Amino acid sequence: MAQTILVVDDSPTVLKFVSFSLKNKGFQVVTACDGMDAIEKISNLTGSLDLIITDLNMPNLDGYGLIDTLRQNEQHQETPIIILSSEDGEDDRDRGMEVGASSYLVKPFKPSLLLTEVTRYLGNG
Amino acid sequence: MPDSTVLIKEIEPVIKDLAEGINNIVGQLKQLQSPLSESQSKVPKATEQLDKISEQTEQATHQMLDQIEKIIEREQEVSEGLKTIKENAVAGDISNVPALADTLVGKADESCNDAFDIMNVLQFQDITSQQINHAASLLEEIETKLHEIIEILPGGLDQPSMEIIESARKSRVYDPHADMTNKKTEQDEVDSLFAQKESQ
Repeated sequence: MAQTILVVDDSPTVLKFVSFSLKNKGFQVVTACDGMDAIEKISNLTGSLDLIITDLNMPNLDGYGLIDTLRQNEQHQETPIIILSSEDGEDDRDRGMEVGASSYLVKPFKPSLLLTEVTRYLGNG
Repeated sequence: MPDSTVLIKEIEPVIKDLAEGINNIVGQLKQLQSPLSESQSKVPKATEQLDKISEQTEQATHQMLDQIEKIIEREQEVSEGLKTIKENAVAGDISNVPALADTLVGKADESCNDAFDIMNVLQFQDITSQQINHAASLLEEIETKLHEIIEILPGGLDQPSMEIIESARKSRVYDPHADMTNKKTEQDEVDSLFAQKESQ
């Protein structure tokens, strides 16, 4: 059965591009437009959630808030979370690490780099 | 000729009023200084963001057009190749079909990669939309400062007008540093930070 990845970003272009790249490699993709939407989608998921890719700057609940919330939930303490953000300042990376992200990719990103990170945690789909 | 003491007494309140008026004007001018200088500092930032958008949009569009041109040329070659295969098949000569088919498969794969590259370049939309939001938010800040100036000046701006303007504004979430330029160095730094974290 295909592994499930949740992609969270307020840019429909990024959601489409990342989803296409992942589906092309055989992963099942669920998308959300911000942190709150992500939490709702996670709570509605029937199967397992294997990995999360999230942006940082989002309305309602940002990426930090989302990771922080998920890390407090026993079920998602170990779920790999990749931050995908155009924020490249040291403070952002440090904060990302502090809240519990597993990796941090800077936008614009190469799809090959994203897939390398994903397969590092999940194998080849 | 009027007595000078009487004259001074008559002039004194007028001079006092004049001095008060000048003081008020100086005060108002001082109040104007802050919003004016704040607005002035924001204009170049907004201009810089708009220039970046124009430059990066053009660059991305150019890249996409190059890729599309390659795809079109290749598709024309594929079309010619398929016509040749059909003609040969009709003539009963299929000896060169496997080699030609291999070439066509190679071209189709190349076009697929180019199409993927176009999708990659389309990330500029996410970056430029953040730059646009940043520029828009700077312009809104300038607008607010200009209203502060109008309020200081006699006549001012009525409160409902300001409320209408504020309520028409949408909330903006953006990274003020979003940029399409190569971020390989930053990515390397990020990787090394996370590697340090893992080794701890």
